[in-house]
Amino acid sequence: MKDLFKDWRVHVLCLALTVVAELIATQKFTLFGKFGVSLFPMLYALILGILLAIFKAIPKSMMETASPYIGISVMFLTAKVSASIGPNLEAILKAGPALILQEFGNLGTIFFALPVAVFVFKMGRAAVGCSFSISREGSLAIIGDLYGLDSEEGQGVMGGYITGTLLGTLFNGLMASLLCSLGIFHPYSLAMAAGTGSASMMSAALAPVVDAFPEMAEQVEAYAATSQVLSSVDGLYMGLFLAIPITNWLYRIFKGEKKPEKKTAAK
Amino acid sequence: MSVWAIRIKVLLLSGIFVSIANWISTVRAGGEVVLPWEAFPALITMFIAIVVGCLVQDLFQKVFHITAPSILFISLVVVLISIPGLSPIAAFVEESFNKVGLLPLCTPILAYAGISIGKDLDAFKKQGVAIVCTALCTFVGTYIGSAIIAEIILRVTGVI
Repeated sequence: MKDLFKDWRVHVLCLALTVVAELIATQKFTLFGKFGVSLFPMLYALILGILLAIFKAIPKSMMETASPYIGISVMFLTAKVSASIGPNLEAILKAGPALILQEFGNLGTIFFALPVAVFVFKMGRAAVGCSFSISREGSLAIIGDLYGLDSEEGQGVMGGYITGTLLGTLFNGLMASLLCSLGIFHPYSLAMAAGTGSASMMSAALAPVVDAFPEMAEQVEAYAATSQVLSSVDGLYMGLFLAIPITNWLYRIFKGEKKPEKKTAAK
Repeated sequence: MSVWAIRIKVLLLSGIFVSIANWISTVRAGGEVVLPWEAFPALITMFIAIVVGCLVQDLFQKVFHITAPSILFISLVVVLISIPGLSPIAAFVEESFNKVGLLPLCTPILAYAGISIGKDLDAFKKQGVAIVCTALCTFVGTYIGSAIIAEIILRVTGVI
């Protein structure tokens, strides 16, 4: 029983980081007059931990003790994310084939981002955590559960989360503007594509479409909102059953590996 | 059994941390304040769902020799108890879970991650730029992937 409370320092530090981070609170500001950027408390908690590590304030033993606790505390996130599935199941029944099938387009990230990560940046396993999805909360839960957030895959997904938080709305807004002006896709398709699982990114990606086609605003907004709801319903299972296995499979092919554990450094 | 002892301990502690994080975040947001104990119904429900999910996971492993991640079982339990019409407590689940924000729920998790990540900091720093660029590529891939499929289906079905 005594052993069970031997690690009290880790938990006290976790609580302290949490409280400090929440007291700083979410900070919002705008870039270039139209792109909102939000800094969330969880980001401060992570950065404070990193700072303490840089100043050698956290002994290595404590870091190792904390490692499995990520996978346990992440279960609450799993529960919360899953709670949006049940009440929205009806939306799937009501959605048309295009809305449902375009959800599989979310897997497109793997075939685009993974080659870049592996071949351009020579990334290791972090590439898997970073490229299987757009790294939102559900992705944190998946990687946290499967690999732990302090693993290489975890670094990938956390890095992706931070990037998305900082640059996501800006980047999605610019990308949607560009694609909208190119005129390759119908506004309906762009609207459906905008719903990827992050509310702020959806708004950013939708705005240029509504701007360009105000007469279709209502329909376009409805498509984006439904696609967004569908992503929140299927995201977790799509990630678990399709995105992660496909990413791992493709990663092994790219690296010429038989098993995911070790790669031999062949030049 | 020690796996379970640690699991229960960390769940209880992080549950309490979440309730505090949630409380501070509602205070700082300036809207309706959710006191720590007002989040308990949701957190206790989540806790039970997690324990049941993990028990089912153990059962599958020991009896059927099927190994699957706990996230799958936990999620299925929560989905089952939150489907309106099917679950008698669906309304309670929805209402109580809404009291706990998604973001404050993540703060203690990332605090544990922050404490732990120091041991791999060099790798994290080295890959910083690569991760940022890869993450931006995921947005492009996801967006264009969905747009292509939507465009094809909408054309085939004659909507556009």
